[in-house]
Amino acid sequence: MSAPTVTRGQDTAPRSRGEQVASAPLLQRLAGSPWSFLLPFLLVYGAFLLWPLLRGFWLSFTDTALNGSGGAFVGLANYAEALGDPMMWNALGNTAFFTVISTVPLVLIALAMALLVHSGLPGQWLWRLSFFLPFLLPVATVALVWKFLYNQDFGLINQFIGFFGGEGVGWLSDTGVAMWSIALTTVWWTVGFNFLLYLAALQSIPDHLYEAAAIDGAGAWARLRSITLPQLRGTTVVVCVLQLLASLKVFDQIYLMTMGGPQDSTRSLLLYVYDVGFTGYRFGYSAAVSYLFLAIVVVISIVQLRLAARRRA
Amino acid sequence: MVQRSHDGAGPPGAARGQALLSRRRLLQGGLAGAGALALGGLLGGCGPAAGPGGSTVRYWSLFNGGDGALMERMLAEIAEQAPHLRVEPTVLAWGAPYYTKLAMASVGGRAPETGIMHLSRLAGYAPGGLLDPFDLGLLAEFGVGAEHFLPELWGRASHDGRHYAIPLDTHPLIVFYDTGTADRAGLLTSEGALRAFESPEDFVEASRELAEASGDNGVAFGHVNDDAQGWRVFFSLYSQTGAAMELPAGGPAVFDPDAALRVFTLLAEVFDGETSSNRLDYQTALAGFSSGRSGLLFCGEWELPYLRDAVPDLGVAPFPTLFEQPASYADSHSFVLPRQSDPDPERVRAAHEFVALMVRASLTWAEAGHVPAYQPVVESAAYRGLGPQTDYAASAENPALEPAAWFAGAGSDFQSDMGSVVQTALMGAGPEAAVDQLDRALSNWVARTNPTEESA
Repeated sequence: MSAPTVTRGQDTAPRSRGEQVASAPLLQRLAGSPWSFLLPFLLVYGAFLLWPLLRGFWLSFTDTALNGSGGAFVGLANYAEALGDPMMWNALGNTAFFTVISTVPLVLIALAMALLVHSGLPGQWLWRLSFFLPFLLPVATVALVWKFLYNQDFGLINQFIGFFGGEGVGWLSDTGVAMWSIALTTVWWTVGFNFLLYLAALQSIPDHLYEAAAIDGAGAWARLRSITLPQLRGTTVVVCVLQLLASLKVFDQIYLMTMGGPQDSTRSLLLYVYDVGFTGYRFGYSAAVSYLFLAIVVVISIVQLRLAARRRA
Repeated sequence: MVQRSHDGAGPPGAARGQALLSRRRLLQGGLAGAGALALGGLLGGCGPAAGPGGSTVRYWSLFNGGDGALMERMLAEIAEQAPHLRVEPTVLAWGAPYYTKLAMASVGGRAPETGIMHLSRLAGYAPGGLLDPFDLGLLAEFGVGAEHFLPELWGRASHDGRHYAIPLDTHPLIVFYDTGTADRAGLLTSEGALRAFESPEDFVEASRELAEASGDNGVAFGHVNDDAQGWRVFFSLYSQTGAAMELPAGGPAVFDPDAALRVFTLLAEVFDGETSSNRLDYQTALAGFSSGRSGLLFCGEWELPYLRDAVPDLGVAPFPTLFEQPASYADSHSFVLPRQSDPDPERVRAAHEFVALMVRASLTWAEAGHVPAYQPVVESAAYRGLGPQTDYAASAENPALEPAAWFAGAGSDFQSDMGSVVQTALMGAGPEAAVDQLDRALSNWVARTNPTEESA
């Protein structure tokens, strides 16, 4: 980008040495420095992340509507309203609930699956493939398939329950059950990713540790407790942080499967942000709720990383 | 399709511009046959200036499936009738996303020349300056005027003395029934039509008989996790009681709690979870009815094309009158002129002509099950011969149009909120609690300020 300018400068104005000395080395230095490699990324990062982030933050202090009307500075009014908004609290509660009931199994099941596969099960490729395959499916496919499975009337699961004489469950229509159903779908769909992270970590544990332990007479349980799990600690921290953030951001599968229903029992915070902003046209308020959410996510991440660091130290 | 037939009409020299095979075009192509469109576009020449005096009309709609196919046919008809109009249709997914896009296009000033909007959404768009009014004089030139529409529908299309929407159809809530099941339940008249119901109790009784006759479910009503069905059925029945509902900005909301309680109680009695399921979602209700496991279905007439194919002995009737007066929830797909920051008079004129032609061609549209809004079509012999559409055409004469409010209308949060109230009545804490929830929700909505309206 800058190279032609430099050469032209030198060709057409050879006498303006002072200028050249000031500009050319800088550009040359830039051309050779790591910054020139980072520049494309920084531009995209700035345009599509930093700028919207700042703009959104500004919006949260205004009453801007979707159609651009309003826009007056309202100070902290949006934040105050959000804190007193029962719908917001309900959505936040739902999100927290979903995060807990999805993150725990997503970490534990992934670990269990990885240990099983790593323990030398025959047909490794098959297990790896089948555990990871659901993760490759688009969310729309997953949501549609599970909506059919969960269907109270003719869904496979209830048919199965009925076959054994059980009463059908309102998987997506019962307020007490719907979030669990969505979490179950999410676990099935995304556990493969964590599984893969764990599997990679397991494979990088040096064999000589196990050999030494075996010589010392450690059994399978002792090896797991004293070698495998401690060696996996770093991965576990990463998996937990990533999973927690992913679960907090839940939106797609809820939007596609229940639209937040029945009776708002599955409305997540991001779904609420979307509804308020795009259906209700209140961009300013929706931005304020988003930033409250961002604050929560940042706090949780920091706390989690701190805890992990302390444990390691 | 439309574009292709125009390509022949356009002069070869007008090939400028179509090289822009935009993403949207390509998506459209998916509907009309991508290859044909792309080839036709590139070879035939369909630039913005299609012919001498030709004008482009960009047209946004939300019709998919059977509706979409019929819309394509109407556009093809228009293309033959008026080759000087170059219509560029864009189909977007219906619901909240459609209205968001329409609003944002208007805000950006680069909106299409015309688009479809549910009449119920007008109150949220016209006052906010998102729409341009129609020129009724111009429209009259093309043969369409107030005298061709039912006054109630036409009246709803104006705001502040200006006219913002031209209705294409009315789409009421109706009932579908299986003639075999209804017959076994003793609900058919000697002519083979669904008999009238004398009272709410009479209908509850009938729903029990239907359950017995179908061997499974009596009346199917898919409202769970749906953003509109609950409200549609509730508002139909509420309007039948004669009670008023007004939602003036700033409040207070006007509604009759006793009437609402009557409606919720009746619904809870019919959908008791034993004879008629109280927890069906839209698809399940549809599937259950089409597979013969329900005797009767509360649904919109827009499901007619699907059900006609799926149910051999399909009967259709206006939504039953269970309270004092006939009424059924209805909305209307209408043409609007989204605001453009710099409208081209030529194109505005073309848009008026296009809208007039479409409305007058709505006999084709009636095949989808919709009741045409343009009365000369409804009165035509051709429409009268169109069974079973005529069996419920009377529904359009008692439309329960939802209260005009900026937050209400098709695809709005308001409707899904109301759906939640119905779910409370049927699956939650029961009718009394639902009335309380309705009261809270309505007060809450009217208290909100319209974010799209400039505050004074």
